[in-house]
Order: sequence, then structure tokens, then C-alpha cells
Amino acid sequence: MIVFEDVIKVYDPDVVGLQDFTCHIGKGEFVFLVGPSGSGKSTLIKLVLKELVPNSGRILVAGRNLGTLRKSRVPLLRRNIGCVFQDFKLLPNKTVHDNVAYALEVVGEPRRSIRRKVPEILSLVGLAEKTDSYPHEISGGEQQRVSVARAFVNHPPLLLADEPTGNIDPETAVGIMQLLVRINRTGTTVVIATHDRDMVNRMRRRVLQLEAGRLVRDERRGSYDQVTEEVGDAL
Amino acid sequence: MRFSFFLSEAFGSMRRNWVMAMAAVITVFISTAILGAVLVTRDNLNQGATSLKNRVMIEVFIKDSATPQQTQALERKIQGMNDIKSYKYISKDEALRRFRERFGERIVANLPINPLPASYEIQVKDADRVDSVAQQFFDNPVVDNDPGTHNGVKYAKETVRKMLGTISLIEKGMWVTTGIFAAAAVLLISTTVRLSIFARRREVEIMRLVGATNWFIRWPFVLEGFITGLVGAMLAAAFVWVGNWGIANWIQSSQIDFLSLRVFRMWWQGGSWPLGLMPTLTILGALLGAVGSLVALRRYLKT
Repeated sequence: MIVFEDVIKVYDPDVVGLQDFTCHIGKGEFVFLVGPSGSGKSTLIKLVLKELVPNSGRILVAGRNLGTLRKSRVPLLRRNIGCVFQDFKLLPNKTVHDNVAYALEVVGEPRRSIRRKVPEILSLVGLAEKTDSYPHEISGGEQQRVSVARAFVNHPPLLLADEPTGNIDPETAVGIMQLLVRINRTGTTVVIATHDRDMVNRMRRRVLQLEAGRLVRDERRGSYDQVTEEVGDAL
Repeated sequence: MRFSFFLSEAFGSMRRNWVMAMAAVITVFISTAILGAVLVTRDNLNQGATSLKNRVMIEVFIKDSATPQQTQALERKIQGMNDIKSYKYISKDEALRRFRERFGERIVANLPINPLPASYEIQVKDADRVDSVAQQFFDNPVVDNDPGTHNGVKYAKETVRKMLGTISLIEKGMWVTTGIFAAAAVLLISTTVRLSIFARRREVEIMRLVGATNWFIRWPFVLEGFITGLVGAMLAAAFVWVGNWGIANWIQSSQIDFLSLRVFRMWWQGGSWPLGLMPTLTILGALLGAVGSLVALRRYLKT
């Protein structure tokens, strides 16, 4: 689903985003990106969305080479990627319903099917009663669920989440994570950048750890912190 | 793409950001009203200038000793001239009647004979040509010149020259003013639009993230600018129109008869407006709004 080959991204004055980054994320995987702030997690997500362009290296998303993807096709790429952010990024002037519907309007979905799909996905994320509320009228956890609903309403093959639980309390966070797992079960590839140690340790999924723009660990069923062989043996 | 969706997006955002929308409408209103006022003033001045030019007249006085044949020959000569719009023969009796009307019975009553000469009043097509037309009568034997002068041909030579100079100066000045205000209008409007889009750059960012194409994002903004410009410019056009006719009516119907006002009356007759200017102003305003939105959006839509 996502292939990075020797990708280098350097910001203007010499701030390293990603350094010689190579990795492969398969279809239907559930992957955590971990690492301290500034280690390159967000850079990686922005590269996949083609919000940023790498200095060198090759990025493939769903078999498409982003380097040769024309500018006018970028919106089409993004329609196939659902996005969830730490700050939710909801349109403040639209109701919960219209925020989700917007993602469908964008792809030119017929009105009739919008009327069917939006309530469907809202009840899936448990927000059927909040349809006509505005983002500022609901809690952070609820806003994040709206954001997940918007990301998934098109049933994209890939879902990216940048610190999805960063702004919400741990209990609500569990709900969000369960939602993402359910989405993953439908076959959607899910990539989550996170600081949430407990969450990663509990889930035991594939972990990619970044450090100063380099991939320092790629572990199946990993935990948040690196457990070195020696320490592991000692335990 | 769905037009009704864009339209409802545009109206929705104007309702939500109504303070900004009002500011934009007022900006368009002020700048197009000023522009319209300048254009209308210019129009009126032009009309005044034209009517002044039309009043330029040459008087050719005829010797009392001229025979009817000579007078007829002079008339034929006048008829044959290209630059002449109209002419009128004023007989000695007519001249006396006019004189009496103007200065009263008493002065005329004691005159033993009629001292006033007969004359032709000639109106020229183009005030610029008045000199060359007048010159053609200078050496005519029928014309009542004092020896060695051309005082049998009377026309406001200096006045015409000065008037033409003033008119062209005013016209130039008005063009410059129009240009300045048009530029100011464009700047004001684009600044307002940029501010309102800057306030909503997050919205634009989100739209792009969910995969909206640039035109999908642009349309509501462009429509919003178009509507804003349309409303502001229509208000301005109505304002200028009412103002123009108000001034014209007030001056024409005013009972006060100062000399200055009489001059002004000639200058401000209402112009050839409103047929041309009104739709022009409105369309201009609407386009300004739409283009302003497009330009202001450009920096947020770079991929």
C-alpha cells in the first residue's frame, strides 16, 4: 500500500525531516509510527498525502508513484486516503452531518446516496444523536469520532491518523482506537502516528520507530519502547 | 459539479461571516460610488461643454447701403459653407424690436431713424472652426466694417479659445481622477477579499485535505465575491443615479437665479446617463468581486 525507497526530506535551513527512509507497508496492515516530536512522523504522513515533496527517493501509494503524479491528480489521491488529525480539522461552520457530507460532496456523490451514507457512518461511530450539532457544541472525543467518520465515509483503502488520541482523555481514546481497529478489519490499511505508549503496548501491532528522521526499529507485534535483546533476555 | 451546492455554500458562508460580507459590500459600494460619481460628473461636464460650444455664434452686420442683391449673394455664400449649422437673418426692424425689448421703450422712442444694422446670426457646427468661418466675412464688401478693421464681424474669439482650453483641461483632469479611483477601488476590494479569505484559510486547508479540487474550493468563494460585488455596485449605481437626478432637478427647478447657478444649470443637465453607466458599474463591481476572490485564493491553493 505504501512504499518508501531511500526517501530524503530536508526542510529549509537544514532541518532533517526524513533521512534515507525505506519501508514497506502492506495492504490491510495496522501500523503504529512512534518516536519523539520532530522524529519525522508528521513528515511521513505529509509525504504520503503529497502535501510535501521529498528531496530524493521514491514514494508509491497504492501502486502510484507520487513523484510522477500530476498536480491536478493530487485531489484524487487524497480522496483515497482518509485522514484523522490531533486537532480534528473539522469545518467549524458546518454541522456534524455537513462535515461528513462534505467529503462526499467533494467526490461528486449524488445527493440521494449522501442522504443514505452519512447517517449510516454516524451511527457506526455512535454519533447518530449529534447529527445537527456544531463541532464546538460537542466534546473532543466526539469531534474526533466525526473526524474518523469523515475519513472513512468514502471507504478509502488507506487511513492515516496523526496523533488521533493526543487531545482526548485515555478512556475516550480507547473508543477511538477500537473504531480504527474496526475500520482496519474492513480491509483498510491504517497508519497511526502516536505518542500514546499505553495504547501501543496494549495493541501489540507492527511498530515503526523513528529517530531524527531515520527508521530505527520495525517490529511486528511491537511495543512503544525498544526492548533490546539483552534486556529482553534478562527479563 | 453541482451549482446549487456552490450557491448554498456561498450564501451560507456570507450569512455566517456577515460582518465581513457587509464590510466587503460597503467597500465595493464606496469605491464604485466614487467611481460612478466621477464618471457622472465628467458626463455632465461634457454635456455642458457641448451645449456651450453650440452657443458659439458669429454675427455679421450688413451695411445699410447694401442692395438686396448683395444681401442675397451673402446669404447664398453662407448657405454654401460646410461648417455652418444654422443661420438666421435679423432685419433692421427685428434688431430694433430686440433692442427695445432689452433696454426699454424710452431710449428708442426719441430716435429719428433706426440706427441698427441688419445682420446674420450664424451658428457653427464645431466651436473649433469659429475662427476660420468668421475670417471668410472679414473682407466682404457688404459687411459693415469700419475702415481698416473687421468689426462688422463679431464673435467671441478669446472666449471661445479660453473655453476650449478649459474644457480640454477639465476632461484630462477627469480622466486622471477616474484612473486613480478605479485603481483605488481594485486595491480596496482585493484587500477586503484577501482579509476574508485569510480568516478562512483553515477551511481551505481542510477542503484540500479531503481531496477537493481547486475549482471545487474556488467556486463558492468566487460566487461569494461576485454576489458581494454585485450588491455593492448595484447600491452604488442606484445612489449615483438618484444623486445625479437630484442635483439636476434641484438646479433646473431652483428659483434662485444667481449668475453662478445659471452657469451651473448649463453644466449639470443630468448627462446622457443612466442607460450606459448603470449596468457598466454593476457588472464592473461583480467582476471585481469575483476576480478579487480568485486572486486572493491563489496563494492558498498552491499544491
